[in-house]
Amino acid sequence: MPKLSVRNLTKRFPVSDGPSMLALDGVDLDVEEGEFIAFVGPSGCGKTTLLRIIQGLETATSGDILIDGKPARGPGHDRGFVFQQYGLLPWLTAAQNIGFALEAKGVPARQHGDITERVLATVGLKGFGDRFPHQLSGGMQQRVGIARALAIEPDMMLLDEPFGALDALSREILQNEMLGLTERMGKTVLFVTHSVDEAVCLADRVVVMSPRPGRIRDIVPIDIPRPRARLGEALRDTPEYSAKRQLLWNQLMELV
Amino acid sequence: MQRSAQPGTASKNAVDPLAEPDPRRQKRRERILQIGTLVLLLAAWEFAAHDANKLLVAMPSDIALATWDLLVSGELLWATLDSMSTFVLGFVIASVLGIVIGFAMGTNRTVEVILDPYINALYAMPLVALIPILMLWVGIGFLAKITIIILFAVFPVIINTVTGVKNVDKHYLDIGKAFMASRAMVYRKIIAPYAMPYVASGLRIALGRGIIAMIVAEFLTSISGLGGLIINYTNAFETAKAFAPVLVVAVLANALTLLVQKVEARFGRWRRR
Ligand SMILES: Nc1ncnc2c1ncn2[C@@H]1O[C@H](COP(=O)(O)OP(=O)(O)OP(=O)(O)O)[C@@H](O)[C@H]1O
Ligand SMILES: [Mg+2]
Repeated sequence: MPKLSVRNLTKRFPVSDGPSMLALDGVDLDVEEGEFIAFVGPSGCGKTTLLRIIQGLETATSGDILIDGKPARGPGHDRGFVFQQYGLLPWLTAAQNIGFALEAKGVPARQHGDITERVLATVGLKGFGDRFPHQLSGGMQQRVGIARALAIEPDMMLLDEPFGALDALSREILQNEMLGLTERMGKTVLFVTHSVDEAVCLADRVVVMSPRPGRIRDIVPIDIPRPRARLGEALRDTPEYSAKRQLLWNQLMELV
Repeated sequence: MQRSAQPGTASKNAVDPLAEPDPRRQKRRERILQIGTLVLLLAAWEFAAHDANKLLVAMPSDIALATWDLLVSGELLWATLDSMSTFVLGFVIASVLGIVIGFAMGTNRTVEVILDPYINALYAMPLVALIPILMLWVGIGFLAKITIIILFAVFPVIINTVTGVKNVDKHYLDIGKAFMASRAMVYRKIIAPYAMPYVASGLRIALGRGIIAMIVAEFLTSISGLGGLIINYTNAFETAKAFAPVLVVAVLANALTLLVQKVEARFGRWRRR
């Protein structure tokens, strides 16, 4: 049984003057346990909308989300979400932001300290728990967001362009860390990105979406063996990497 | 301000706009300017009032002496305590009431629809007009004063709290939703901190209006406190003594505003300076 099934999902947004906007149209997708899925597609093709519906932040107009075969209604602690921007509460420190998710999940307060320290160390932010978000760089803030999602020990991580607002260098560093992290943990990951590069490096399968209306255009498997993290830069020299990168690039160019 | 290079202003001591001014020296310079202006003003007042009718205008030196007399006799202290205890109680009730009503209106559309017209109408109208009628209901004593202070102070707190609560960034509410925060947590950790700066500016407005209310109440209901001193000494043509409580009110208003700002800064540590 797939970890996650998206069945014939449709989302219409009402538009104040004129016909409603069809953001997703008949989206079908099965994701296996432990799989890393990347979503790419032109702006406005419904990637964020799809992720938000799976997380339960938005309701579908029709269709179903099944997790372990059971219909998911609304958010759950089994899913950890990482936002693209404004993902941290600015009036809470890094540790308190993580504590927020733990408290929401009902983890006893006396365990918060240990868990927070552990997940901050996992994302390379040991000792930064007392900082407020504005005292952290953009890349560090995203790490805190990832740490918070890890803290609740979800089965599934949903990340909406988590590195989209970062400079190229921070982005590459975080990509590599993400690779190491997910390969160690074996969690199911749904990852939205604008970058073909990022998608090919990280994913087992890349879902290509097309806009107006938002549909799945193609699903491209990436057969680079794991663990990929130890390959480092050599990952980008593999023939599979260049082939899939080229293929995805061509598909995206046709769509815009 | 100090960097503005408008023609004709500060051309002689203009600073190099690229050089970082030493903040400590800058601060001292500004203080000296302010104190110097105050001394000049007082001297001019003293000089102008010297030949004026003593019943109408008092000289600063006379006011200083009168203030000293009132201090020594304890009269000023008692009046201040009288006024302040009434004011603080009224202000605290108005703040709590305003925040609670504001939260209820900001988070519950029904409550907002029902209350909004009255809140807006009462905030806009000159509340002094209500005082005589109010005195019919609650008399002229302590209760009347408290009621008047609350009436003046509560509306800016309500209105600002509602604005803050309703403006909460959707991104932050999404965080609460994504991690399944309870309603109480969303109130405590998202809505309340977000609305805090709005509430604080409501409190600052309420402070000013509350002090006005306090003096007005002391003028119009049973004459007492600092407002009472002002009325009584003016009626007795002891103009210099009438100025003393005015001075105290001015100092208190400023001190309380400073206090609210300090509290606000304490809670706003998370913001970029
Ligand atoms: N709350 C909303 N109300 C109305 N329309 C919306 C809403 N959210 C999204 N849309 C519309 O739905 C479509 C899909 O939006 P979505 O944000 O999912 O795209 P995306 O693929 O994430 O784009 P990007 O790559 O720019 O982030 C867009 O045309 C957008 O305008
Ligand atoms: Mg998006």
